[in-house]
Order: sequence, then C-alpha cells, then structure tokens
Amino acid sequence: MRTKGIMIGVTRLAACLCALVVVSSTAPKVWSLGGEAHAGPARVDERRTKAPTKKQMGPRQPSGTRRPEIKAQAPQAAPVERIEADVSTRSVEVTTAFTGHEILVFGSIDNSQQPGDESGYYNIVVVVEGTPEPTVVRRKSDVGGLWINTLSVIFASVPSYYAIASTRPIDEIAGPNVLDKHAIGFAHIKMTPEPSYQWGFGEEALAAFKAAVIRLKRQEGLYIMEAKDGVTFIGRSLFRSTIALPANVPVGPLVARVFLFRDGEVISAHIARVTLERTGLERLLHSFAFRYPFFYGIFAVLLAVLSGLLASAYFRRAVR
Amino acid sequence: MNIYLPIAEMSVSVALFLGLGWAVGFLSGLFGVGGGFLLTPLLIFMGIPSAVAVGTGSMHIVASSVSGAIAQYQRNNVDIKMGFVLVAGGVFGSAIGVGIVRILRDIGQFDLFVALSYVTFLGAVGALMMIESVGTIRKARLGQPVSTRKTGQHSWVHGLPFKMRFHRSKLYISVVPPALIGAFVGFMAAVMGIGGGFVMVPAMIYLLRVPTNVVVGTSLFQIVFVMAVTTVLQAVQNQTVDVVLALLLIIGGVIGAQLGAAAGGRLKGEQLRFLLAALVILMCFRIGWDLVARPDELYSITPLLGVAK
Repeated sequence: MRTKGIMIGVTRLAACLCALVVVSSTAPKVWSLGGEAHAGPARVDERRTKAPTKKQMGPRQPSGTRRPEIKAQAPQAAPVERIEADVSTRSVEVTTAFTGHEILVFGSIDNSQQPGDESGYYNIVVVVEGTPEPTVVRRKSDVGGLWINTLSVIFASVPSYYAIASTRPIDEIAGPNVLDKHAIGFAHIKMTPEPSYQWGFGEEALAAFKAAVIRLKRQEGLYIMEAKDGVTFIGRSLFRSTIALPANVPVGPLVARVFLFRDGEVISAHIARVTLERTGLERLLHSFAFRYPFFYGIFAVLLAVLSGLLASAYFRRAVR
Repeated sequence: MNIYLPIAEMSVSVALFLGLGWAVGFLSGLFGVGGGFLLTPLLIFMGIPSAVAVGTGSMHIVASSVSGAIAQYQRNNVDIKMGFVLVAGGVFGSAIGVGIVRILRDIGQFDLFVALSYVTFLGAVGALMMIESVGTIRKARLGQPVSTRKTGQHSWVHGLPFKMRFHRSKLYISVVPPALIGAFVGFMAAVMGIGGGFVMVPAMIYLLRVPTNVVVGTSLFQIVFVMAVTTVLQAVQNQTVDVVLALLLIIGGVIGAQLGAAAGGRLKGEQLRFLLAALVILMCFRIGWDLVARPDELYSITPLLGVAK
C-alpha cells in the first residue's frame, strides 16, 4: 500500500515537472491576477465577457441537455464562449466486486476562438467532489511517554473525495483569489472549523490541521490530482479528461464542475452529476445493517453458528 | 481477487484475509485458545478500523466456539447452571462495554483504550504463563514430581452470601464471584473483541475451584452465548459487524484450526504454554511499541459519528 502510494507520488511529481516544461514554452500571458472575489462559486465574471451570463449551482437537473441560462442581450462584437460538459457514466455501481472506476468528463466550448488544440488560449479545470461531511481531525501528543490524541478540530464540511484535472498546473491558470472563490485546488478547498473549535487555536495551528486533512486524504487516495494533460483538447473546441474513482471512494453523489478559463478568469462553467450507488448484495447488506441493525445482528449470529457447525461437521466426516 | 467490505467500506484482498483467518485458526487450534486476542490486533494492523475489528471479531468467535461448545455439551462437560450465571453476568458486562465503545469512539480515545487494554492483559497473562511453564519444564527436567492442584480448599470466595448449589461442579458457593467473573469477561469481549477464555479458565479453576473437566466446556458455553449477544449489541449500537469480513476469516479459520490441532497433539502441554506465552508477550510488545514510539503521522481524520450518511 505504502510503496504504491509513493510510486504514484513519484509519477505525479514527474508528470507535473513535465507539464511545467511543456507549458512554459508555449504559454501566453497568464497570471493576470483577477482579484474580484465577491461572487459565489461558478459565477461568471460579467464585465470581462460583456454579455452577462449567469448560472448557479442549482438543484439537480437532468444533466446533459442542461444549458447554462443566458440572459441574452444584444450580442456585441466578441462572441461569448460557453462551456458544455457531461460525464461518461451518470451512475456508478458499487458492488462487492467494486475495485474503483474511471469516469470520463468531456465537453466542448461554444464559439471557441482558439486556433488549435495546443494553442493554450483557453484553460479548462475539472473538479469532481464527493459530499462534504463534518470531519474530526485529531492530533497526538506525547503525554508521559504515551502518544495520545489530545487536540482535535471539527471541520464542518470536508469533501469526502476531491479530484482535480486541468490543462496545466492550476497556479499557472489563475491567481489564488480566483481559485479560492471557486474552491479549485486542494489548498483552496473551503474548510471552516466549527465555531466552538476556533478559540484556542492560532492561525498556524489551524493551517497545520487543514494541511493534515489534505495530506491524509491524499494518502488514502481520496484527494487526487490528475497528472499532466489531465484535461486535453481535441481540436479547437472539444476536450476530455479522465477522473479516477478509487475503490475506497465514499458512496454518495458526486458533483463534477467544469471551468473554462481565459486570461486567468473563469469565463464559463458547467456542472454535471454522478451518482455512486450500492447495488446487489452490497446494497442489501449495507441497508440491512443500518436500517434493521437488530435483525442484522441476529443474522450475523445465525450465520456464524451455521458456518461453525457446517465446518466442524465437514471436518469430522473428512477425518473419519 | 478483491472484495468490497460493506461495513468496513474498503476493498480488500480475499486471499490475504483468508490467509489471516487461516493463520489465526492454526494458532488457536495449536494452543487450544480462542484466538480473538490475536485476530483483533492483526485486523487493526491490516487497516480495518478498530471498532469494526472488535465488532467483527465477536462474530468470528461465535463461529469458532460453537462446535466446541456443542461437543463439550454432548460429553456432559458443561455445568449449565454455572454457565447461566456466567452468561447473565457476561451480558451485563458486555452491554456496558458496548456503550463504552461508543463513548470512546466519540471522544477519539477508543484506539488508545484498546491498545492499553491489550498491553495490560497480554502482558500480565503472558508473564504468568511464561513463569508457570518455565517452572514446570525445569521441574520436569530435574525429575521432580509436577505438583497437581489441591482440591477441597476453602478461600475467601466461599464466605460470600447468595449461595447456590452447582451439582455438575460439585460446588456450593455464592453466585457473586461467577457473576462478577462473567461480567468482567463480557466487558472485555465488547471492548477488546476477545472471548476471554484465557481469563475465565484460570479464574474458574483458582478462584471458584471448578473441576477441570467442567471448566473448558462451561467457559465455551459462556463464550458462545456472550459473544452472540455482543455481536447483536455491536450491530445495534455501533454498526460495526462486517459479515463479509467475518465469513472470510471463518472460512480460513476452520481449515487452519484443524491443522493446528493436529500439530498441537505432537507437543507437550508445558511446551505449548511456553510458546503461547512467548507469542502473547510478543503481541504485547508490538502493540505497546506503537503507544510509545513517536508516530510518523501525528494527525488522524475520521468522519464525525452520529451523522446520517
């Protein structure tokens, strides 16, 4: 397990370095630090795109056919780019044979202005997230020679799973304010400690706890940064990206957010959803255990008694 | 081949856990012990959450003890009356233990508590067994007669009230000590995921003076019932019983136990006890090391309990 993790880490590092080398030769001016961090996530910067587009991360809708609502005004000189995306698998089944899955996030840019797939005119970031859940982070300290959990912080909502893929390293795509605004990148995930835990912890201590969450989640393979070419263009407007769902991905709905960047600003965004569902025996056992725990317990005991008796009966016969 | 465990929520190698069940089964067959004290820590080392390891361990013990208990019953080696007193105490102790598991998980000290309990009990039992077996081996070498247990002696245990006649054990003693022993073992069962035979058998022999031929059967009787109740309680209170994991361990375990028992027949009792003592002490040090060594990772994360998924 550990060696596998290290190997993945090494390949990722190597891939990131490659990406840096490749990108730096073709990169046009990025790093315009667009700092108007006022709007909510996935709201498009209106001034830049002239025609105001507005979308929200609304309630679940049948994706695919969904288009961003555009309050069309008189189209002006520059045509408005818009991103549309979908996922290859809308629902992933978690069975007893589940060993992970790979989903394909793909889409296209309407009114693409870029000359070709390697022009670097646009950047795309794909973020796939699991349900945010309250998470306890504990820290051990040396108490009289024993290492004991002493400090703890509860973060109100930590995404159970977070995968990110982009056309190039995200800090080359946009400045920290933009990334913060849309919660793009591990360091920009919004983690707010529960109020009761805020006292007594300095900024530094809290930052260490946050860093620990990210580090541990990455070790568990639940926070994933897809390597170089995480998102690739095919021609002027089509793009694709593969996102890995590991075997231990927490079961629940996933949200895939796709951002279109130009000159360090989000100019369009799209949301697609993936559901992870237990099926078959897996679903049966899990819902049995959590909905009817008493009968599940009785069932477990009967199963144990039966298997114990069967085994000994079998071996007694085998011995005789 | 991998399989996804529904309660532990992880994908594990089938072969690995069959092998683990086999190895624990082999050792328990070899030494004639339940094996819970080996299984639970090994599951935790393998990355199974400690609460799931403890809960699933209790189901595993039901399976591995039930056939032995029935065999003992058929040979009339079970003092049913004594057994019920032990079970009554055991259920009480187990209920308290399961509740404490919940509280400790909430405050994040369950792992510490389990580790400390293991170090204490394994250390004490291992040391006692080691001293006893070394003494016996040395005496046997010197040609001295190995002293056997004296019967009919009275101790403070026999002065307590609420006396009851246990025909099968030929005893007329207070119900308080067996109920307390049962409660203590039930508590350990819930918190540590062990059957507790290694505590109950010596306690019955030395404190209650139950005849040796009845001790094993009666303690197996208690273990099966108390572990069955513990399994249900863990399922209800903590949802930590993984039947898929338990089945893997049981299947591996029954095969291993048969081979272990065959191998054990070739060794002398005190040699076996010496080896078992060495194993217990080794386990104790392994768990203790994790408590005192500076961990590589000081932080740990868990989803907040009691939140609907």
